[in-house]
Amino acid sequence: MSSEPLLRVENLKTQFFTESGTVRAVDGISFDVHEGEIVGLVGESGAGKSVASMSLLRLVDDPGEIVGGEISYRGETIFGLEEGPDGELREREEMLSESEMRERIRGREIAVIFQDPMETLNPVFTVGGQLREFIELNRDLPSDEAKAQAIDMLREVGIPDPKERYEEYPHQFSGGMRQRVLIAMALACEPNLIIADEPTTALDVTVEGQILDLVDDLQDRYDTSFIWVTHDMGVVAEICDRVNVMYLGEIVEQAPVDELFYETNHPYTNALLDSMPRPDRTVEELDPIEGVMPEAINPPSGCRFHPRCPDAREVCTRVHPEPLEVDRADGYPHRAACVKHDVFDVGYDESVPLEAGDEAETGVGETGTEANVDSDSPLEEDQASTDGGESER
Amino acid sequence: MATTESQLEEQEPGAPEATTDDEDVEARVGWRYTLAKVKRDATARIGFYIVAIVLVIAAFAAVDSNLSRLTFGALSDYRAAQALPFFEHPTALPESGEAQRNVPPAFVDGGTLSHPLGTDPQGRDYFTRIVYGSQVSVSVGLVATAIGLIGGTIVGAISGYYGGWVDDVLMRAVETLYAIPPLVLIIVFIVFVSDGSPDIRYAVIGVGITFIPVFARIIRSRVLSVREMDYIEAARAAGVKDRNIIRRHVIPNSFAPVLVYATLQIGVTILIVAGLSFLGYGAQPPTPDWGEMLRIAHGRYMHSNIWLSIWPGLAILVTIMGFNLFGDGLQDALDPRIKN
Amino acid sequence: MGLLKYTIYRLLQAIPVLIGISIITFVLANLAPGDPVRLMLQGQQVDEELVRAIEQRYGLDQPLHVRYWNYMTGLVQGDLGYSIHRDRPVSDLMVERAGPTLLLVVSAYVFAIVTAIPLGIIAAKRRNKPTDHVSRIVALVGVSTPSFWIGIMLIIIFAVQLGWLPSAGLVYPWQPPEAAGYDNHLQLWAATIEHLLLPMIALGTLQMATLMRVERTQMIDSLQQEYVKLARAYGVPERTILRKHAFRSAQLPIITIIGLNLSTALGGAVLIETVFAINGMGRLFIEAIQQLDYQLIMGITMVLGAIFVIGVVITDISYAYIDPRVTYGERE
Repeated sequence: MSSEPLLRVENLKTQFFTESGTVRAVDGISFDVHEGEIVGLVGESGAGKSVASMSLLRLVDDPGEIVGGEISYRGETIFGLEEGPDGELREREEMLSESEMRERIRGREIAVIFQDPMETLNPVFTVGGQLREFIELNRDLPSDEAKAQAIDMLREVGIPDPKERYEEYPHQFSGGMRQRVLIAMALACEPNLIIADEPTTALDVTVEGQILDLVDDLQDRYDTSFIWVTHDMGVVAEICDRVNVMYLGEIVEQAPVDELFYETNHPYTNALLDSMPRPDRTVEELDPIEGVMPEAINPPSGCRFHPRCPDAREVCTRVHPEPLEVDRADGYPHRAACVKHDVFDVGYDESVPLEAGDEAETGVGETGTEANVDSDSPLEEDQASTDGGESER
Repeated sequence: MATTESQLEEQEPGAPEATTDDEDVEARVGWRYTLAKVKRDATARIGFYIVAIVLVIAAFAAVDSNLSRLTFGALSDYRAAQALPFFEHPTALPESGEAQRNVPPAFVDGGTLSHPLGTDPQGRDYFTRIVYGSQVSVSVGLVATAIGLIGGTIVGAISGYYGGWVDDVLMRAVETLYAIPPLVLIIVFIVFVSDGSPDIRYAVIGVGITFIPVFARIIRSRVLSVREMDYIEAARAAGVKDRNIIRRHVIPNSFAPVLVYATLQIGVTILIVAGLSFLGYGAQPPTPDWGEMLRIAHGRYMHSNIWLSIWPGLAILVTIMGFNLFGDGLQDALDPRIKN
Repeated sequence: MGLLKYTIYRLLQAIPVLIGISIITFVLANLAPGDPVRLMLQGQQVDEELVRAIEQRYGLDQPLHVRYWNYMTGLVQGDLGYSIHRDRPVSDLMVERAGPTLLLVVSAYVFAIVTAIPLGIIAAKRRNKPTDHVSRIVALVGVSTPSFWIGIMLIIIFAVQLGWLPSAGLVYPWQPPEAAGYDNHLQLWAATIEHLLLPMIALGTLQMATLMRVERTQMIDSLQQEYVKLARAYGVPERTILRKHAFRSAQLPIITIIGLNLSTALGGAVLIETVFAINGMGRLFIEAIQQLDYQLIMGITMVLGAIFVIGVVITDISYAYIDPRVTYGERE
């Protein structure tokens, strides 16, 4: 699209420094969000979706830290590093300070809806009081106006008798109702972007449907942009405009939603789609993804998905692909990080296919020797980057 | 009250999913794992060393005084000849003439190396008395806690397992014991049971009984959660006797949190017994007991010889701290949720 | 249930416990080998006639259950019995001696709460930093030190060596200043604080250490809750999070523990009153024990138990007040 995106994320890296080693939870992801869009961030649990979304607010819990990349929001730098005079990395001058983040970005520009509505509301304060506090804070309204706004918002998200329920405590609300409260909270602060971190995962299916309809409806009216974090391809199909598929801290495929579903270009996305229940297929036809996702602390060499990939060939254990443009649709690029596409040109076709399963054992947790081959290889120097496998050594 | 109970309940990891056959194995693996974690934890290690040292000293003191030098006689005579204070009998009064009363510690003017911590108002070596005092404190702490633990286990297991009116009655009784300040209850017990002539044995029994409620509560809450587990249901369905179920399944499964609690409770016990002795209802003179020594010091010597007040208190502090550190370490090892 | 109803309900619930306390003390007192009168007259020439007369006068010749019944009916009417030794009703003595003890215990709690809560919060906030380590060491030493020894040390330092503060006795703010030898209320209050300071610290240290540990753990737990993350994500300043969002729910266990520790504190008062020569219930108890004044002993035990029970009821009610999830009566 022509206009400047609302949020731009470039090569973001967030790592956790734990006793047993560095966990590269988010390892160089890039994506953007435009005005009025709902952008999906999809992947299995542990793929780094939540960490990525909290990084956008610079709210990563200890011992995690954003270590690289750039996040800009409407021309303001939420995160950005530069090289100092001695070659050390330091925060850029225009990067927002902690208090600027708190006063200008969090809640006011970017709001969040968390996964578990049961845990997210403070049990010892009234629902209305919590709502009012955030509205007061982020819209500079006096207390009584904030209260009126809060009640309006509760009505807006479909809570009956909002005046009475304003005075009630969270434990008097059902899970679905609490999630509506949290949505009201996010919208009431009138942000331009809402990060919804698996907001329907903890709810049952019928309530999930209602919430999705509600968000769809409200999004039309308020024209708020969303980053929708989920592991559920069904939700993605229902609500998202564009989708980023994450695997082990990386984005492996990025495309508008229809394009992603009909012109799938990454084996992992394919696997996700195959494992999703659909009306046109029986349960027997469901095809769960083989194996479990490896730990981000010690990712496989080469393409991180290769140990579980049905299309994996020998080259996949060596070359670490970055998402490259393989197609275009609706004016957006369709990117995929899979060397089977011609743009990569690393000799996928000539490479020997891996026996399914035999790599699954050895590939996981082996970064040492093979990764050296990986970085020495001239092939991918210009085609694909190795920074995923290298930065630590 | 509900909160403390549930906290205690949560302070241990999810009960091992033991089956009827291999629960012993699991329990042992659990212990080894716990011990390994305790070893890695610095504070727990310090606690462990303090406890170990105090235990060794106490054991040695017990041997020396109770076997009346049968085993160590020759050695102690030899040492005594070397003018080392270690083996002077802690209760024996020095022969008149050679008595040096209220000698200050060695590092103070007027102190002498042969009495590193000085002497008491009757001329006895204070270091010896402090060392022997460990015997009283530690044995009292262990025995009284054991009484509370065993009594509490029985009461708690019965109460939790049978429920109903048994539970009601026992828990009301436990609550009642809880309501009277332990020190007061124990003193009343000691005075009325001992017929007006208190003795450390009554103190130990009294303290032990007073702690039954605490242990009963923990055991009971554990039993309540264990009781609902599938394998207990299975055992019951298979016709295993209640008593055997409690003994073989319920109690072993409740033991980890109780043991942690017991370790911490030893410290509390020592604290209370010291208080009893201080008031004159625990150890009686001439027994070398830290609380008793403080009683004498507080009476008349707070102005003239402050050291008499300092040493026993420090000894109590270090001993209890050892048990507390060790108990905390055990607790952390068993409860990975809150890592300090 | 409303708050008032809940209060009444909780007080009713306490009745069996109070009955239990009366049974325990009664049984203990009557288990004593030898009869109480003879015990009381220990060491004196025993005149059989006199013993019989005393027994008859106080109903001691009746069977045990009758005596208990008499005792209970007396209790219900607020009659705690009669101290033969002091020739005064026990309730009079209680009224006289409860004041100093309550003053001591309450001030020790105030000291413990105002120090423990901020320290616990700071420790939780600066977890694993030097401040945290220092506070943990203070807490550890606090729970490991006998209160009476702290009292002795405080006397040695501040009264004997430095001579700053008095080492014994208490001045009561409720008495007329002239009677205590002071010109006005200001002086009286100053003297009260002066006298109260050392015993208050001695008795309060254990409570402080306990509360500090709990506060720290609770705040650490609370700061990891989702609702704290939410507040952060909505730009709430860290100070507000600490003081409001994380604070409130973290105080719930503290309230419970304050109530439960009341019995330790009352027991501690016996020791501290002995160390500082304060004429409260604790010292009265020791005197009664020494004189084997069993009616008085029973009376003190009853009153201490009742104070504890009332304290627990009060904390339970304030718990219900703070935690909206408590639906007065059945907790989750």
